[in-house]
Amino acid sequence: MSSVSTPTLDAIDLSDRAFWGAPPEQRHAVFDLLRRESPFAFFAEPVVPYIPVGPGYHAVTRYADVEAISCQPALFASGSGAVSIADMPPDLNEFYGSLISMDDPRHGKIRRIVAKAFTPRVLEGLVGNVQAVVDDVVARARQRAADGDGTIDVVADLAAPIPLRVICDMMGVPDSDRAMVLQQSNVVLSGGDPELVEDEEHVVTAFLEAGELLAGLMTRLAVERRARPTDDLTTALVTTEVDGERLTSQEIASFFILLLVAGNETTRNAISQGVLALSEHPAERDRWAADPGITRTAVEEVVRWTSPITWMRRTATQDVELSGRAFPAGSKFLLFYGAANRDPAVFADPHRFDLTRDPNPHVGFGSRGPHFCLGAHLARREIGVAFQAFARELPDLEVCGEPARLQSSFVNGLKRLPARLTGLR
Amino acid sequence: MSRVVVDREVCMGAGVCEMEAPEVFELDADGVLQVHEPTDPAAVETAVRACPTGALQLID
Repeated sequence: MSSVSTPTLDAIDLSDRAFWGAPPEQRHAVFDLLRRESPFAFFAEPVVPYIPVGPGYHAVTRYADVEAISCQPALFASGSGAVSIADMPPDLNEFYGSLISMDDPRHGKIRRIVAKAFTPRVLEGLVGNVQAVVDDVVARARQRAADGDGTIDVVADLAAPIPLRVICDMMGVPDSDRAMVLQQSNVVLSGGDPELVEDEEHVVTAFLEAGELLAGLMTRLAVERRARPTDDLTTALVTTEVDGERLTSQEIASFFILLLVAGNETTRNAISQGVLALSEHPAERDRWAADPGITRTAVEEVVRWTSPITWMRRTATQDVELSGRAFPAGSKFLLFYGAANRDPAVFADPHRFDLTRDPNPHVGFGSRGPHFCLGAHLARREIGVAFQAFARELPDLEVCGEPARLQSSFVNGLKRLPARLTGLR
Repeated sequence: MSRVVVDREVCMGAGVCEMEAPEVFELDADGVLQVHEPTDPAAVETAVRACPTGALQLID
């Protein structure tokens, strides 16, 4: 492990993009300090071109406070934006955030419609599909390494194609559109990373174009499915009714974007950083390979450890109190899930990667409350199937270079992770 | 044996209970939670505690 300089409270600025490119140990040290010394630390908002700068936000880093805020949605609302620090224009907010940036009663109505497509039993029917996708992806990765110099990129060759193909299969996205889906969902969740959005001045434009392309695809699919229904999720979305109401075209397009983006980036980053964690903890890797029976707890630990979504925002709807401290109406709170997931008040030895950690009440899928991750079952399935296949088919996989980290405060992600298959030589 | 009560206004069909205790909890095709006779009290208790919206309650 690289040496970690001791942070000081005054020097911490979570709105500084450079902080998010720092090695994870360094970020964890900062969050440990914040959790201990300043659990509601206040920061000025980062500047986004063309968007008015807001009043600033509190960084919530203790597990108990993240939970208290999440389970009181009437006091801590999502409707003014859950996925951006700045208040975005309402139409933009709703379009990109969909359910995530919505409050009851509308949230409850739509969530119940879409939840039907994500029940454990519906997903049970997808196991075969997930297994087939994973097997094919793994075989192609090995072939690619064999055809080339024996190396692969864990992100592009393993972690990205698995959730992309699963979610596109579920939604019925044609093969010819999938490269576009991957590229545009990268842009939507880039957090303005300079490699993905070249010109910072054009972050908002790139964002809008990505949304337009994805919405265009959805509109086309919706028309096709209304004419010729199939058994995919898109058909369910355009035909389902709740209390005699159907989703509007706008709601369907937003939800489609949410699924494509959220269904791709999160699982991809859990898988790629799970591979990295296992390579850094070879004893745990061997333990999992030797005993597939620990997969249930191992998947939870991968999600806790990686915490792919770094935060969601809530906004106080009235004067509120948290852990005895008063905050005025309108206060913004960023719930730092990765920090809560390393809170020693809840997790014994929180910086230990322990695949049999049990109980493991992590908030990697969000904390208790109505916004708990809709795709949690799907993500667990994908991660479990993927790592069992890696252990079986790619036992010789060895990380052989530094990971390239996404410079985003919102998504804890990897852009590249070089690895070699040593068995090929 | 205690009984499980579902607050229908609050349940949003996340299915966390079903993952914890599939023999007791089942989201049907309409996404409505069906509760069968509790068998394994420990699993049911875990499921009730795990509900993200607090829609489940154990009553003696």
